[in-house]
This record gives sequence, C-alpha cells and structure tokens, in this order.
Amino acid sequence: MKAETPVDPRALREEVKSKYRDVATNPRGEYHFHTGRPLARRLGYEQGVVDAMPERAVESFAGVANPFSLRRLEAGERVIDVGSGAGFDCFIAAHQVGPQGRVLGVDMLQEMLERSRAAAAEMGLANVAFREGLIEEMPVEDGWADAVISNGVINLCADKRRAFQEIWRVLRPGGWLQFADIANGKPVPESALRNIDLWTA
Amino acid sequence: MLAEIGFVDIRVGPKVDTFGEAGGEKKARQFEVFGYSFLARKPR
Repeated sequence: MKAETPVDPRALREEVKSKYRDVATNPRGEYHFHTGRPLARRLGYEQGVVDAMPERAVESFAGVANPFSLRRLEAGERVIDVGSGAGFDCFIAAHQVGPQGRVLGVDMLQEMLERSRAAAAEMGLANVAFREGLIEEMPVEDGWADAVISNGVINLCADKRRAFQEIWRVLRPGGWLQFADIANGKPVPESALRNIDLWTA
Repeated sequence: MLAEIGFVDIRVGPKVDTFGEAGGEKKARQFEVFGYSFLARKPR
C-alpha cells in the first residue's frame, strides 16, 4: 500500500539536495540555521571532542539537537548515521565506539560524501565508512546495527513511517535508535504542509 | 509512530532552541519549533 504524503517525496528530495549541496560546498554561507562549531556548542556537544576535530569535519555540520544526549554509544558498537551529511556525528560516534566499533554514514549527496570521506581520511579514522543511499532504502544488511543515529534528517522525509520501518530493518533486536530532530508546538496549516519550498525554509 | 512500528522504551529529551538568533528564528517562533533528542529501542 502506498503511503499518503503531503508532498511528492521525489520533489522534496530534490529540494533537500539543492539546499544541502550548498551547505557542503559553501559552509560559511547564509542559511536559516546555524552551522559548524557555534552550532555544536549550542547543542551541547562535548567541547573537547569537537575542539580536537579539524575544521573540515565540523564546518558543514547542520544538526538540530544532540543525538548522544540521551544515550552515549558503547565501545565496540556498530552504528549507522542516517543522512550523515558532512560526517560530524559519525566522527563523534567513532570517538565513542572506539577502534573496535564501526560507524557507517549513509547520505544521498555526492558532495557531502566527498567531504565526509576527506575529513575521515584527514583524521585517520579507520572505523568510519560512508555509502551513498537513501534513508528509505539503506544499502545495509538486515540487523547490522547496534545503534542508528540521525540528526535533522527525518523531518525532511515525506514518508516518515517508511523511514522508521527501514531503520527498524537495519537494527538488530535490542538495538537503539537515537536521533535528533525538530518538532513544532503549534500546528502548521495544511497549505504550508503542501508547500515544498517551506520544508527546507 | 515509533510505538506503532514496535519501538519501546521511547524517551524525548528537553527542547533545544535550535534556531535562536539564526535566520529562521522568526518562523521557528511562529510555530514553536525546537530541536529534541529522541531515544527508542527495538525489542529483543
């Protein structure tokens, strides 16, 4: 059965790609959200860990909260970052799971994948990898992950149920979903929900 | 939705003023948009 969504998922995906392609290639541009180190400070990330990262690993960070605030990852865990962007949360995850753990970032944007791979190489991280893919169809086998993280991505999916079902598929039984996202306290009018430009505004 | 899919032990963290002092602050205030951390577990 096809899910009813307020906007066309493909059109929304193209809009999201356009916006975040800019963030990847021009991290110091003017956006409606904070980015980089000031944002990491605002969201309560461990200052020492962020300070130790090279600029390339931090400057395109555009999350909305801290997915590690309710649960710290455990050493040795296998982690998937859904919509990994420039890789910032993958690098935090790599620090927490240690060299015996593995972190896999999945993102649909080539520009973000290039940036995250370059940053991982600069940091010498052997336990982090990145793959091109969509949240709704992740290139990961069933039950691979001990934990799935995400930051500011699921709100940009037209079909959230499908996104969560895919996360369920890649998690092992007993695995954790720990994600950060935005939520509104006042209802958004139907007309705005159907306006694709407002999803990323 | 998380519970409908089968996730358990669902928790929501305190709100974070994600858009404060950013370009999107006005629109965020209009609809009381904040950032949150969520935690849930797939049962064994």
